[in-house]
Amino acid sequence: MEQFLAQVPQQIVNGITLGSVYALLALGYSMVYGVLKMLNFAHGDVFMVGAFAGWAVLSLFEQNGLIAMPALALAAMALGAIVATALLGAAIERFAYRPLRGGSRLAPLISALGVSIILENAAMLLTSGRAKTFPTELLIPQDMVVHVAGAAISATRLAMLGTSILAMVILDAVVLKTKFGRAMRATSQDAEAAEYMGIRTSLVISATFMLGSALAGLAGVMIGLYYTQVDFMIGFSAGMKAFTAAVLGGIGSFRGAVVGGLLLGLAESFGVLIAPPVYKDAIVFAVLILTLILRPHGLYGKPQQARA
Amino acid sequence: MIKSSRGKMKIICLAVAAALLLTAATGLGRSAKLTPIKIGAAGPYTGDVSKIGLDGLNAIRMAVDEANAAGGIGGRKIEIVEADDAADPSKAILVAEKLAMDRSVIGVIGPMNSATAQAALPTYQRAGLAVISQSATNPDLTEMGYTVMHRICPRDDAQGPASARFIIEVLKAKTVYIIDDKTTYGQGLSDQVEPALKAAGVRVLRGQISMEDRDFSPILTRVKSSAPDLVYLGLANPAQAASLIKQAAGLGLKPVFMGGDGLKERDQLIDGAAGLAEGMYVTSIGRDIREVPEARDFIRKFESKYGALSVFGGQSYEAANILIDAARRAHSDPMKITRANVLAALGKTRGYKGILGFPISFDSKGDVVGASIFVYQVKGKEFVPVKEYPATVRAK
Repeated sequence: MEQFLAQVPQQIVNGITLGSVYALLALGYSMVYGVLKMLNFAHGDVFMVGAFAGWAVLSLFEQNGLIAMPALALAAMALGAIVATALLGAAIERFAYRPLRGGSRLAPLISALGVSIILENAAMLLTSGRAKTFPTELLIPQDMVVHVAGAAISATRLAMLGTSILAMVILDAVVLKTKFGRAMRATSQDAEAAEYMGIRTSLVISATFMLGSALAGLAGVMIGLYYTQVDFMIGFSAGMKAFTAAVLGGIGSFRGAVVGGLLLGLAESFGVLIAPPVYKDAIVFAVLILTLILRPHGLYGKPQQARA
Repeated sequence: MIKSSRGKMKIICLAVAAALLLTAATGLGRSAKLTPIKIGAAGPYTGDVSKIGLDGLNAIRMAVDEANAAGGIGGRKIEIVEADDAADPSKAILVAEKLAMDRSVIGVIGPMNSATAQAALPTYQRAGLAVISQSATNPDLTEMGYTVMHRICPRDDAQGPASARFIIEVLKAKTVYIIDDKTTYGQGLSDQVEPALKAAGVRVLRGQISMEDRDFSPILTRVKSSAPDLVYLGLANPAQAASLIKQAAGLGLKPVFMGGDGLKERDQLIDGAAGLAEGMYVTSIGRDIREVPEARDFIRKFESKYGALSVFGGQSYEAANILIDAARRAHSDPMKITRANVLAALGKTRGYKGILGFPISFDSKGDVVGASIFVYQVKGKEFVPVKEYPATVRAK
């Protein structure tokens, strides 16, 4: 029991760090669902591409001896991943989803699965199936650790948490305070009515895709730095987790995505306390099933919205 | 008129048929003289552990190129049939079927992983296809009655107890946390280390991860709370081990780490862990071939062609050479080399002197005789040998 309690603070930190990344991913998932009412199964693979884009930028820095400027390198990695995934998101929307809009609701879903397979295999061919290592220690000292109430918080975790919160604050401002945000909310409520009001919904959808994908790209870089290596399959489980977090919180709801992500991260870390670590994913999905039984629309989801 | 025309037709038909037959016959004769002999190379060439697989494949290519330059097998060229199993047992069965169906394949090098070997062995056994694995160490593989199975690496029930002996006698650890990855290799090796430690009164705790895991903080937090002197990593993927060691440092956890032969991989473990693997121990199922004089030529040629040599390169080269040697001994007429006589010749391999630093023979189960287990420590970004134990298996 004593040993059990001693682990609690650390597992909270573990859970929140991981949860903040899940939250970023779930936000992108929810945003796309909001405007298009479709599940973007390629979201996890966009995240994977983001991680590799960050790795590519980092390699460039390393080759040119610019690694001595860690702040610049980190900023460039984040920017590189955001730009690459935003463009990728726009391209996916334009070529894989837009031609199918207005057709069967299943068609874009299958198209999303196809995009996911294409991205995974392209990444496998480009990396020869090998894991790429992030020399995180060159950017953030690995043994720089703060001890709070028995929990070790490394600089990497602090940076991840800070970046996630910053991204969420910016996203919140964009959605609530800007013209684009208003257009996006209108499109999400009723695309047809929004169009009558003079909103160019096609543009809004495209921009929403770019924004959601950019969040996934940013999450990819953070996970790369945190796990210190990435491979072409990381998108699969990340996509599953993002989907779970979004559904847990109530798909389409922003607050739900954030809460769902954090809950999922915590469930994963605390699951290890009560069960062997190998069951951590099983625990996560058990939590999802329980939530869906008790609250079919998720924690923050509205029934009408889910039916729309 | 009609009749004679029909007669002419008959003659023409006959002539054409005769000509066809003749060309077919000569064609047959010529191709029979030149048909290449094929050997399968089964291993993970894509996926998580593809690095190890591809280096092994390159070493096999080198052995085959050299054998072909020396006249192949009785004048027949050797061809490699690549069988990528991605370290996935279900794929291993598929590629085994593919090799089994190609009748010109006379033997297989690999599978490299214990799990893939276990899955594919029934197929190879049915096809009567001799198997020589360079790195599948799970004890069961040669205990299940598969006559086709041979390996040039000592088993986990030699490696595990040797590791435990080192932990007890040299490191004198009191509490050991064992993390395995649920694979036949990782879990199997850990299952050998655990009882040997417990028998000496060492407190042993165990935890599992899976090969797909990338976040180790939950299990490492658990490890930290039990404050072990040593963490034993029963993992198949050195890149995963490196990532785990780095994440442990992020939690302020810096125990002594030890692992099996699968982790002895310089660029993925030592470079991958960026200095944090310093001081870690790994066991090895063979002498580092850089210390073997007979291997110098091979290392030089390999590295000038394919870059840095990794853990199973030397063993893959040796396994390929032993299989080729067996095929050469299989029958005096190179056209009469069959799966059956290659298998018989392979089993009779005695005292083969290659580049591994000890003469290789097989016992009746197909296990290698005379091997040793070595303990290495990471010092200054290199694996430095610290201890050697004879690879002995306690009789079952």
